[in-house]
Amino acid sequence: MVKVGIPRALLYYQYYPMWKTFFEELGAEVVVSPTTTQATLSAGLSRVVADTCLPVKVFCGHVLALVDKCDYIFVPALRSVKSRIYNCSKFLGLPDMTRAVIPECPPILDIDIDINKGKRRLYQEIYRLGRHLSRSPLKVRKAALAAWQAHLEYKELMVNESLTPPQAIARISGAEIPSHNPSQPAIALIGHPYLLYDELINHRLIYRLEQAGYRVLTPEMLTAEQTETAINRLTGQPYWTYEEEVVGSGGHYLESGVEGAIGVIAFGCGPDSLMMDMVQRQAIKLKTTPFMSLTLEEHTGEAGVVTRLEAFLDMIQRRKRREAELCV
Amino acid sequence: MRIGVPHMGNLYIPLKALLERLELDFIIPPVNNQRTLSLGVRYSPEGMCIPFKLTLGNLIEAAELGADTMLMPSGSGICRLGYYAKTQEQVLHSLGYDAKIVSVGVSQRKLLGLLEVIKHLSNNAPWSKIISAFRFGLTKLNILDEIERAVQKVRPIERVKGTANQLFAQAVKATEQADDYQSLKRVQADYLEHLNQVERDESAEPLVVGIIGEFYVLLEPFSNMDVEKELGRLGVEVRRSLFTSEWTKFSLFLNPLGVNEKDRLHKAAMPYLKRDIGGEGWETVGEKVLHAKDYDGLVHLAPFTCMPEIVAQNIMPSTKENIPVLTILCDEQMGKPGMLTRLEAFVDLLKHRRRAKVKV
Repeated sequence: MVKVGIPRALLYYQYYPMWKTFFEELGAEVVVSPTTTQATLSAGLSRVVADTCLPVKVFCGHVLALVDKCDYIFVPALRSVKSRIYNCSKFLGLPDMTRAVIPECPPILDIDIDINKGKRRLYQEIYRLGRHLSRSPLKVRKAALAAWQAHLEYKELMVNESLTPPQAIARISGAEIPSHNPSQPAIALIGHPYLLYDELINHRLIYRLEQAGYRVLTPEMLTAEQTETAINRLTGQPYWTYEEEVVGSGGHYLESGVEGAIGVIAFGCGPDSLMMDMVQRQAIKLKTTPFMSLTLEEHTGEAGVVTRLEAFLDMIQRRKRREAELCV
Repeated sequence: MRIGVPHMGNLYIPLKALLERLELDFIIPPVNNQRTLSLGVRYSPEGMCIPFKLTLGNLIEAAELGADTMLMPSGSGICRLGYYAKTQEQVLHSLGYDAKIVSVGVSQRKLLGLLEVIKHLSNNAPWSKIISAFRFGLTKLNILDEIERAVQKVRPIERVKGTANQLFAQAVKATEQADDYQSLKRVQADYLEHLNQVERDESAEPLVVGIIGEFYVLLEPFSNMDVEKELGRLGVEVRRSLFTSEWTKFSLFLNPLGVNEKDRLHKAAMPYLKRDIGGEGWETVGEKVLHAKDYDGLVHLAPFTCMPEIVAQNIMPSTKENIPVLTILCDEQMGKPGMLTRLEAFVDLLKHRRRAKVKV
């Protein structure tokens, strides 16, 4: 059986069920790289120039972990998924960059996704991708439709049951996920999924918050309408793909009555330097929800993150106590 | 209404000519200086690139001088530039300036977009007036770039170092002051002649270094610490395919007509980078492939955290076409002595390579 490798990084969290369904429908076996370790990160960052952002370094590490373990590696070039809204350059050039920095990499399956070029072009691209695995266009079509269905179900699952992507992926493969208690105080995490759910690079942020007794809300748990209204309120027309993950969810959660919001960005991230700034400005303007911005990079020390998190949670507690006193 | 514009190299000269001819009230903020940079850095989001910081500094300085309508380029699918206006407007508001930013969509509307904005700003001036003013501005731009090309040739081989730079500074001033086509023509002829007269070392065979990278840091000498002048001082002839006039010419006129000089660069980059990645990333890789044979080395300029250039920087070492590349990342932390040391070392390396080649 042909083995297709999928790196557990960047777009994995958004689209894994879709990709998995597509390749499995075409008779391939899907191999996912193991979760990030310090070794993955070190391997990745030895290959690219220093200025490359952390998520891309992690991505290269995951590709290296898949070398020798599969026949193909799937690296999409995702340019645009909504009309006239484009993605960061690093996503656009990802297949070319992977090929350049990891020459020993198995053949790369790439697909150009650009909705602005029309549906016809998108279908052609899907066939071009599917042809590596099946000669029959009908079979590719069937696989693509099944993949799309799986994607919609995945999204719906996260919204309806307030699950994070790793939880939803586990649920799809049959694992039990303990349900959370809606009366618990909540903290919103704002940022891209490849930062929020990679436990190595964010030093188990979600786990730590849960240990401290908070329920964690993430961008994936919001509906498209909720994020769209928030974007309209903050910046008008969206500009970046995945603006909903930062400006949309940030704008929404700041007014949703959560105890606090934490914006997570990677150092040197181009789009986020602007988008998180918008959220921060909104937080300052509203003065209703405490907001902390956390910048991650490969040198981020665990102790530093923990200290800041503790200070932030203490501040929230203090604020609550003071409010309670005032009410009495 | 008072219009304010950001700086990019000598672009303010044609802009000034254009706005003057349309009899608009406008402000050209002071050319980029340390204060501009400090203001920009102080009020910018932390991880922003230097073009944002400097243009923000310009807008703040323009606002201080009473400008309330700012012209900024924007568009979609072209790196962070398209988002500049949104954030800069918020910064200006938070500083208490009631300024509006008019964005000029260079990526989609091209020439038409720019002309429509001018028409709107000029209170519906007749098209004939707008077009004649626009043409005059463009002429100034073309003349400046022609003189600059001549300066690049003279700089490395002049006997008295600094003559060409001095002449260029005078030429810029003269072009700025000229207010009809006749005097412009005279300025052009005069300065080209002056440059021709500069005493030079005819036997010298200067090293040829191409300058590639992101357009703002390429065209704004303040942001790259005069890298071209410094290379000239080290006796290196600088070649740059990107000039303000070319950039305007192609992005405004020829691309919409289907003529695209960038196609050549894209074709060269194809084996290594198959798709447009925004900004100038594709062109950077293309230039390396294309010029590997005819240049001695390349200086790659990029703002710190520039996304397209980082991708290009990652891809460049893997090309078959081999040529030394020195990447200089520009930001407010850059120090001149550090840059000079790197340039000197790079030029030494190129000299060695050339000597080795000659021996073989």
